[in-house]
Amino acid sequence: MNDQLIAPSSAALGKEHVARIRAAHDAILGEVRKVIIGQGQVVEEVLTTFFSGGHCLITGVPGLAKTLLISTLGRAMALTFKRIQFTPDLMPSDIVGHELLRESGGQRSLEFVPGAIFSNIVLADEINRTPPKTQAALLEAMQEHQVTSGGASRKLDEPFFVLATQNPIEHEGTYPLPLAQQDRFMFSLIIGYPTKDEELQILDATTSNLAADIRVALTGAELLKAQQIVRLLPAAAPIVKYAVRLAGASRPASPHAPDFVKQYVSIGASLRGSQYLLLGARARAAMEGRLAVSVDDIKAVALPVLRHRIVVNFKADAAKLDSNEIVRRLLEVVPGPKAEL
Amino acid sequence: MPEDKEVQAVVAFHSQLSTALHSVVVGQRAAIDHVMVALVVGGHVLLTGGAATAKGLIVQCLAKAAKLSFKRIQFTPDLMPSDITGAEILEEDTQTGKRVAQFVSGPIFTNLLMADEINRTPPKTQAALLEAMQEKQVSTSGVTRPLPKPFYVMATKTSLETDGTYPLPEAQQDRFMLNIEMETLSEEEELQVVTGNATAQLAQLPQVIEGEGLLRFQQTVRGIAIPRAVQQYIVNLTAASRPGTPDAIEPVNKYVAWGAGVRATQYLALGAKARAALEGRAAATQDDVKAVALPVMRHRIGVNFRAENDNVKPAQIVGQLLESVR
Repeated sequence: MNDQLIAPSSAALGKEHVARIRAAHDAILGEVRKVIIGQGQVVEEVLTTFFSGGHCLITGVPGLAKTLLISTLGRAMALTFKRIQFTPDLMPSDIVGHELLRESGGQRSLEFVPGAIFSNIVLADEINRTPPKTQAALLEAMQEHQVTSGGASRKLDEPFFVLATQNPIEHEGTYPLPLAQQDRFMFSLIIGYPTKDEELQILDATTSNLAADIRVALTGAELLKAQQIVRLLPAAAPIVKYAVRLAGASRPASPHAPDFVKQYVSIGASLRGSQYLLLGARARAAMEGRLAVSVDDIKAVALPVLRHRIVVNFKADAAKLDSNEIVRRLLEVVPGPKAEL
Repeated sequence: MPEDKEVQAVVAFHSQLSTALHSVVVGQRAAIDHVMVALVVGGHVLLTGGAATAKGLIVQCLAKAAKLSFKRIQFTPDLMPSDITGAEILEEDTQTGKRVAQFVSGPIFTNLLMADEINRTPPKTQAALLEAMQEKQVSTSGVTRPLPKPFYVMATKTSLETDGTYPLPEAQQDRFMLNIEMETLSEEEELQVVTGNATAQLAQLPQVIEGEGLLRFQQTVRGIAIPRAVQQYIVNLTAASRPGTPDAIEPVNKYVAWGAGVRATQYLALGAKARAALEGRAAATQDDVKAVALPVMRHRIGVNFRAENDNVKPAQIVGQLLESVR
């Protein structure tokens, strides 16, 4: 990729722009595949958020190579990477940074010591173990791409990407993320155990003397350009309408809500839901080298975009229905553009 | 594949170190065998068991016999992350009168770190240690400093009292390769301890290896072959420990809240390779896997309320896994 990637407007966007994004995607994937075995869907979904400029929440047990995946992506894009272990006693200043009194030549001055958030990629490990004020410090930075400390605002490095993890096992001593804060994550992903075959390959690859060499497949500046192109990708009116309909149908008060939503859902997807459906679909089209966003692109990102934005009620709990199931049913019943034509 | 003379060097080290350790430590044969496995793999160890079961003595012996730099941290409720990793302090240059920030490295900058009663310290301080264990480096004030090589953490956990302790989250326990449970001594052994003089014997302990040698052994161990059937057995073993999955055995579905993760699979393989190397064999066997299964899996299996009610411990679950999985 090079400077030709800059596209001034949607009209000037050509096949070559998306072709380059596809090539970049394939190259990054090639590097990741050197060290990560299996987890194909999670890798694709994380890459989608990278090309969208969104943040990602991952729920999964420890030891599933979450750190390795995200640090490898960092190396493949020559981005700086930091990991923060969230604990009950972590303070906002541990994340954001703090001011320190320094003396030089008889003069005392306040110097800002940047926290771990000043990095392109931040792995926020076990985010639900930290109290709300510290969670809020991270989430504010995610939204604004800047932090405020000692009255001064400081811009974060670009690109800026947060991958937060939640451990589903331990519920004791955890502080669940409020819905409004979960909403800031573009995708919510679920990572499961590898298959037996994959676990065999992991065993083979990680317990011998082989070391993989990760090359830079895309730079941070190129990624930023790719993100701009993704946002410019044209989406036909019926496709946009479908995204809005899909998110809207998840809201129990909406006239378009199907009966199972009225019965089982207490809170539906916010406006960010429809925005991220469209953005994710655009990224997916670009990663596959297509200029046009399709209904299938929207459908493919529906689960990771909507699952953490839909809250089910106690009736759903009793019927053993979770938000994943609600999204699956929505995909079945909400009419696609073709049905309307 | 490692050359035969490399494997033979591991065997010689094994017999020398085991003789040296047994000259000081009474009993604890299994614990000493397992500590040796962790040494040649480069894994960290969590030592549990009652008070005065020679946990500290074993670690001191290792430091001396393997010529490793050794530090000990007593974890307390008021210990701070910077007490472990180090901190910047202002120093005055006597010639210019200027003050400059200087990094003073913490006790973690050592080859062998004994982390005593790790569950007595608050989570942020635990996390500082566990991150260093995983990354083998420390970041303070934006500067990343590598730790010495080799780097081993031998941590102990108090189980006598639970008041005022901060239990290690399971994700953090997962970073320890082995959880070695010390044995309670027999009356005869206790007599031997009381009449013996461990301090004097410790002082006479010969040095059998240097840190460099241990690093070489770690390479040798990784080169040991592990046949496909043994790999398959390992994967079957860990898969059977995960409740609610098709491979889970019946006691697991009944009593286990969470099973062994992928790190268990990796450490079972490395542990089996280590055992083969220590015994001078070029390939690991299923029996090697079985021999390390308990210390690898014990702390990676969490039991549910029902198990607590029926007094079922993770060790029993591991026993049942070894019996039923082929």
